[in-house]
Amino acid sequence: MVNYNNKGEDEERLVYGHRLSSIGPAKVTGEVIYEPSNIDLAMKLHYLRVVYLFDKEAVEGLNLSLIKLKEALFSWLNFYYETCGRFRRSDDTGRPYIKCNDCGMRFVEAKSSLTLEEWLNLPANSLRLLVPHHVIGPELNFSPPTFLQMTFFECGGLSFGLSWTHVLGDAFSVATFMNSLGPLLKGLQPTSSPNFHKSPSNTYNSAKAVTFDPLSMKKVGPVGDNWAIDPPCEMDSCSFHLTTQQLAQLCESEGDSSLIQPFESISAVIWRAIAKIKVGSEPNVVTVIKPGPKADDTFLRNNQVVSSLKADFSVAKAHVRDLVALICNQPEDETAQIAEQVGQDPGGSDFIIYGANLTFVDLGGAEFYGFELKGSGPELVNCFVDGLGKKGVVLVLPGPKSVKHKDEGRLVTLILPKSYLEELKEELKKEWPLIT
Amino acid sequence: MDSVRLKYVRLGYTYLVNNFLRLLLVPITWASTVEILRMGTEEILAVLGSLHLDPIHILFFSLLVIFIFTVYIMSKPRPIYLVDYALYKPSPVCRVPFSTFMEHSRIILPDNPKSVEFQMRILERSGLGEETCLPPAIHYIPVETTMEAAHEEAEAVIFTAIDDLLSKTRVKPRDIDILIVNCSLFSPAPSLSAMVVNKYKMRSNIKSFNLSGMGCSCSPISVDLARKLLQVHPKSYALVISTEIITPNYYQGKERAMLLPNCLFRMGCAAILLTNNAKEKNRAKYQLMHVVRTHKGSDDKAYRCVYQEEDPEGKCGISLSKDLMSIAGEALKSNITTIGPLVLPASEQLLFVFSLIGRKIFNPKWKPYIPDFKPAFEHFCIHAGGRAVIDQLQKNLELSAAHVEASRMTLHRFGNTSSSSLWYELGYIEAKGRMKKGDRCIRSVKAPNYGPWADCIDRYPVHIPDVVKI
Repeated sequence: MVNYNNKGEDEERLVYGHRLSSIGPAKVTGEVIYEPSNIDLAMKLHYLRVVYLFDKEAVEGLNLSLIKLKEALFSWLNFYYETCGRFRRSDDTGRPYIKCNDCGMRFVEAKSSLTLEEWLNLPANSLRLLVPHHVIGPELNFSPPTFLQMTFFECGGLSFGLSWTHVLGDAFSVATFMNSLGPLLKGLQPTSSPNFHKSPSNTYNSAKAVTFDPLSMKKVGPVGDNWAIDPPCEMDSCSFHLTTQQLAQLCESEGDSSLIQPFESISAVIWRAIAKIKVGSEPNVVTVIKPGPKADDTFLRNNQVVSSLKADFSVAKAHVRDLVALICNQPEDETAQIAEQVGQDPGGSDFIIYGANLTFVDLGGAEFYGFELKGSGPELVNCFVDGLGKKGVVLVLPGPKSVKHKDEGRLVTLILPKSYLEELKEELKKEWPLIT
Repeated sequence: MDSVRLKYVRLGYTYLVNNFLRLLLVPITWASTVEILRMGTEEILAVLGSLHLDPIHILFFSLLVIFIFTVYIMSKPRPIYLVDYALYKPSPVCRVPFSTFMEHSRIILPDNPKSVEFQMRILERSGLGEETCLPPAIHYIPVETTMEAAHEEAEAVIFTAIDDLLSKTRVKPRDIDILIVNCSLFSPAPSLSAMVVNKYKMRSNIKSFNLSGMGCSCSPISVDLARKLLQVHPKSYALVISTEIITPNYYQGKERAMLLPNCLFRMGCAAILLTNNAKEKNRAKYQLMHVVRTHKGSDDKAYRCVYQEEDPEGKCGISLSKDLMSIAGEALKSNITTIGPLVLPASEQLLFVFSLIGRKIFNPKWKPYIPDFKPAFEHFCIHAGGRAVIDQLQKNLELSAAHVEASRMTLHRFGNTSSSSLWYELGYIEAKGRMKKGDRCIRSVKAPNYGPWADCIDRYPVHIPDVVKI
């Protein structure tokens, strides 16, 4: 269900005029089943909320009348009919699968009285108003896996807010999915036909025998058909942008100027800062999620490599260089173990990965800015994760691209317990004085 | 052996009765020829000479013949031609898969699971497919049944169909002399016909009519009205628009009899161009031969079988009574008895009359003879009201599956589009290449433009299961 009832008056002032409908494939998909793999099912309690902000130049001249817009969306969904199906459980094992019955993605049209500039100046949390916050459940059969919100700004700009069940794929798949909408919105016709055999394979080559429980995963629930967990504590989000220059400085300060490793460096700094704040309960074990081998663009997949990392030394007192080395060289790849664990009881057991430990996610290579409308991509893309464990998550996203720089650094989004987020920001300002 | 013998007897009887006059002509011609040959030329001339014909007599006689001939020609009804017709094809953006319909229903009626369950059972057995379309306003949660949305739907369906028809026929809006729009359940002011006149800037002396409240059978009614007007106005074009506007009639309550139309009615529109202009005879697709109307309104049950009213909670909708099937059957029987003499071959009519006399005089328990309409028509377009309606009529008229294929496939692809449905069925028959010159259709010719069937005709016919699992 979608949480719209708890909006305050201020929120209503910012985004209003919500109209709900369903969009789906233009052509009948037929009797197609999509079977998520074990890794997909491991992610079922997590949701990605991705927001794209476009200025009016990107939109001007495009025919975005409701009928043309919907024609493009329906044409788009011919290729991604699995996002429009509904979950069912198999009769024997209770394993969830998707019946691709064209039931549809829920579509929300909204308006905002703010301009794009004003949105860009608001704190990251406010962007959550531009994306629906759905979960799957309480009834699987009638829960859309995806929601899409389009908010039209006062100034002519607009935003796309995609609410996405992690079962369908990781953030890289989301980027590919949204990017394929760009040409259709410009009025171009698709050149290929949909592929009706998209279910992922369910085999994992594990280099070693499965002998241990993965550290990066925690069993929760059982949640039954309501794929949501109660937030363990109040979480808050904040985002800050690190330019390429700042990243370069960071790497120089570590003494290793040969290779800029933005994700590892950023993660190391934040890990140490959190360890400093949480005296007595510093996080020794963290989860690192990095992209797997590049997959075929037509398939939505959970290709990420989930690893856990244990520090044998005090993180708070460690040198950033050592933490970077640890993150680079020693993560224990637990993807196969996760798949194995889920496979033992796919219908009954429920797990969380994001937030089971403090989780660092490397999304720097995700091509969010490839979602181009009239020749230009979005001004800003931000991403949130819901269904988290209480240890929180740090997302390292690509920075906003501008005309000047090809690679504008990184956008770091923290989703952490509110109790120490402010303190953390103060601590991080010591390292990066320009963050707000 | 007996049945084979009976078949031959029947065949012989049919041939004898239907060709009676021609058969009679054979001995007459033979006798006359023999007589003339026997008489010889001189005797014939002698007979003619003995008639004593005055020039005045001859002149008078010729004038009389010419006069009678002229009166006969003038009193014949003008032939009415159907130049062409166009059908509205909804955008796939308006498509309503079963699962979406059910999911929206559940969200709109959260406190009435039984009503939602009822709708699901109806949909499963309805004979509709997954491509039928509802107007954009009905896709919202909650539905937005405003006047503005209803106008938008009316403009979209009607203007698209008219644009298509005018471009196909190359007739200009200012050439239209008669305009008839029929839409049962949306009757705004100004009327839909006024809306058309305004949009296309038609002439100020156009004879326009707007028929509302007359139900799914209104298309033949409009065609009949156009025909009568075309008898009175020479060299005229009549544009007939048949549609049903769904937006304002979407029932939002929980009464089952009133939820039924939500499950079956879908968007559609047909624009038909009729004329009595003889120069169109060569390019016209069809000629209108007969229109027969039977009104059962004087019977109370028939009057109330499709009734627009408010439910106990004040929500407006169309209530379909349980007697609908039997009333439809009765109406059909009346209609058949009327059209029979016009279209049935003499052999069938005789049999029907004998059976009628026999039942009245000798034994009322004789099975009533159902005339075989199949020889009278090559094609049947039965209103695609719902699977039950088509089943009932197929049974009553003893038609085969092939005869009702157009109706069933139209119901599957477009749903119940009310008064325009029979035009979609005609479109199906044409798209399948089954319509040939000289064919009669109740309710090559080349069909280079298959209209709304163009992108899916190759997938048809489909097998429609009795119950679809949603």
